[in-house]
Amino acid sequence: MDKISIPIGPQHPLLKEPLSMMVDIAGEKVLGGSLRLGYVHRGIERLAQQRTYVQNVHLIERICGICSHVHTTAYCYAVEALLGIEIPPRAQYIRALMCELERIHSHLLWLGILAKHIGLETIFMHTWHDREMALDIMEEISGGRVSHAANQIGGVRFDLDEEHIDMIRGILKKLHSQVDGLVDIIETEPAAMARTKGVAPISPDMIKAYGVVGPVARASGVDIDLRRDAPLPPYDQLEVKVVTHPGGDAWARTFVRAEETRVSLNLCEKILEDLPEGDVSLRTPRRVPEGEVIIRAEAPRGELFYYLRSDGSDKPARLKVRTPTLATLSLLPVQLAEINVADIPVVLAGVDLCIACADR
Amino acid sequence: MKKFNILDLCIEIETKTSFHCEVYDGIHGDHTILIKPNQLKPVIDVILESFEYCHLSAITVQQRNDQPDEIEVFYNFWSGSGFSLMLKLPVESAKLPSIISTIPGADFYEREAAEMFGIEFTGRNETPPLLLPDDWDQGPPFIAKKEKNG
Amino acid sequence: MIKSLFNLLVFPGFLFLVMSGLTFEWLDRKFLARFQRRVGPPWYQPLADLIKLFSKEDLLPKNANDFLAALLPLVSLASVLTAGLYVPIAGYKAFSFEGDLIVIIFLMSVPTLAYYLAGIISLGIYSVLGGGRSLLQFFSYEVPLLIALSGPAILGGSWSVSTIMEAQVNLGPFILFQPLGFILAVIGLIGKLKRDPFDIPKAKSEVVGGSLTEFSGPTLGFWNLVMDIQAVIGIFLLIDLYFGWTKMSHPSLAIIIFIIECLILVLILSGTSAIFARLRIDQLAGLGWRILVPLALLQLGLIILMGN
Repeated sequence: MDKISIPIGPQHPLLKEPLSMMVDIAGEKVLGGSLRLGYVHRGIERLAQQRTYVQNVHLIERICGICSHVHTTAYCYAVEALLGIEIPPRAQYIRALMCELERIHSHLLWLGILAKHIGLETIFMHTWHDREMALDIMEEISGGRVSHAANQIGGVRFDLDEEHIDMIRGILKKLHSQVDGLVDIIETEPAAMARTKGVAPISPDMIKAYGVVGPVARASGVDIDLRRDAPLPPYDQLEVKVVTHPGGDAWARTFVRAEETRVSLNLCEKILEDLPEGDVSLRTPRRVPEGEVIIRAEAPRGELFYYLRSDGSDKPARLKVRTPTLATLSLLPVQLAEINVADIPVVLAGVDLCIACADR
Repeated sequence: MKKFNILDLCIEIETKTSFHCEVYDGIHGDHTILIKPNQLKPVIDVILESFEYCHLSAITVQQRNDQPDEIEVFYNFWSGSGFSLMLKLPVESAKLPSIISTIPGADFYEREAAEMFGIEFTGRNETPPLLLPDDWDQGPPFIAKKEKNG
Repeated sequence: MIKSLFNLLVFPGFLFLVMSGLTFEWLDRKFLARFQRRVGPPWYQPLADLIKLFSKEDLLPKNANDFLAALLPLVSLASVLTAGLYVPIAGYKAFSFEGDLIVIIFLMSVPTLAYYLAGIISLGIYSVLGGGRSLLQFFSYEVPLLIALSGPAILGGSWSVSTIMEAQVNLGPFILFQPLGFILAVIGLIGKLKRDPFDIPKAKSEVVGGSLTEFSGPTLGFWNLVMDIQAVIGIFLLIDLYFGWTKMSHPSLAIIIFIIECLILVLILSGTSAIFARLRIDQLAGLGWRILVPLALLQLGLIILMGN
């Protein structure tokens, strides 16, 4: 069979965001591929140097739509570390609540996309319908479904009163039972297993060599989770169950993400139970003293790395962001060798792309 | 995982490579060791041997505006806790050996450092741009532009 | 003469088949939507889509053969409309002759070949891939379908659909004697119509739009019409071969029963679409040859024994 190169992207039904891949195929077998990023590069790091710390909270939120809150959380913790302040515990818990809700909504989004790509459109419709419940909670709390603007330097922007908390608990209970049903279906559905078992296995050595993090790493048996290993408060007081699976193939990644959704739901309920009293924010000075800090946070897709340097003025001197998708994408051309054409959607869904994060 | 101690790592490096390690205290949150550019590859080999699990988180590059003649490069690692290697390079002719033969995942980070700061990585076939467009002709965006003389 | 013209153009010919095709598309989309917790389109949606497509421009890549591209759906449309003339509707026979079942099956395969050719001549990468897959798929489902459909022919003692249908008045509906054959025929129909779980040639995530990726405007409108009419003819054929015609005191009761049987079949088709995931082409080939063909042969054997 002759080798032909098919372009996937920048616009393609498979991709939510623009990414250019050239995949070489012969018949129904894929021989390899190459990628080109940069279609949504906005120069966030350079822009951050021209804006004040407060303006940057709004800029950082727009790095990504799906994991916007964890970006601002990491940034705010970085600035607060340089200022030498610790925010009130109630604010820490509310930040964690929004982080976990974001993880749930991101994983449900991913689950729908995976189901749609293997042809289970009904599961896709049901999953996104239930994801709306998580987005409803976030909208009730913060006013926005995906762009929450929840964080500010020194705490969070809003408080939760008793009525809010009861309402959130009600929706969480419904969501929990729906997610349990969905996760059971996807873990036992024979078609899903047939399409994902044995597809594109990754060994733990490859994970280490490529620096892959997050659910993809945990699906190859590598036991890393920043919520347990380098916890930002209040995760040091919450017990996080880390889900791993030794398989390394697309099925293992499906399993890990599905179970993580359940773990996050339990964490949300625990956070609401333990929510301490107090203020939700502190007043902070505009100028940040000189210093450098590194903060790592566990985004839905893995380890989010922030380096921030301040030179004493009110604008950062250097902000460096390394998003988890960038690490996972470097493994993609390797994963694309030796699979069938029909497995390309499964492999892409397993990577859980967030190109806006990778490009910044 | 074993509890991480930066001094243990320094001792390992000094024994295995006979390079002297300086600990740099500037960064809140990660332990940092200052090394020279030609020591990079051996030190990374030692690091990969010493830890059961270790991955490269990022390659962070910056130019301090109070020292515009040099750029600082950090290799940030994670192994149960974070630590970094720090190198200083002159702006005009920034050269570093490429580590993609030992850590293939560094490919994207090296490409980004090359296009954003003008660093040349030796030992790789080519360093195509990662994020900037193919027809970008305005030089590394992060390096402060020098005033043209006369 | 007038009767023939009426049959050709109105019932059960052109107008009736087009209207049934559009109704089928609406029912299918509505059922699918309700399975997926959505509302679904209003009743006039398929007609509106058709009108919209006919008002748009026909664009193809520069070197593609526009004439052939426009000809292929028209030839397919002609074939399926002709096939429709020989399928009795609720007991009303327009035309029939001995052996028309074979002709119907042949005419229904013309669109599959035309679909493949459309992919090749439209010169897009995705079109070529989709076209190739449709031909591969054809080889996997057609054989079990043919074997399954010869069951009613053997029991009815004739290769004419009308005669088979009438034979069931005395013997009873053939589905009672060959339920396995019915299931295999439904599976074969799903493959022929390129529906989920056999929509490999049109898998959006993999080949974008399959053979029809580059088509637009009236040509695409004709293709959609061909697909819909193929579906209704398949449904009518299955009803005639397996459910037969119940002789009723009043002809309108027969019509109502026919409509109910149609709805059941549409429900089965939509339900399988909603529930099952898409197979890979190698899984489909395995399914077709390793499971469906032996089962079909088994069913055929049982029928021959029964006949004796």
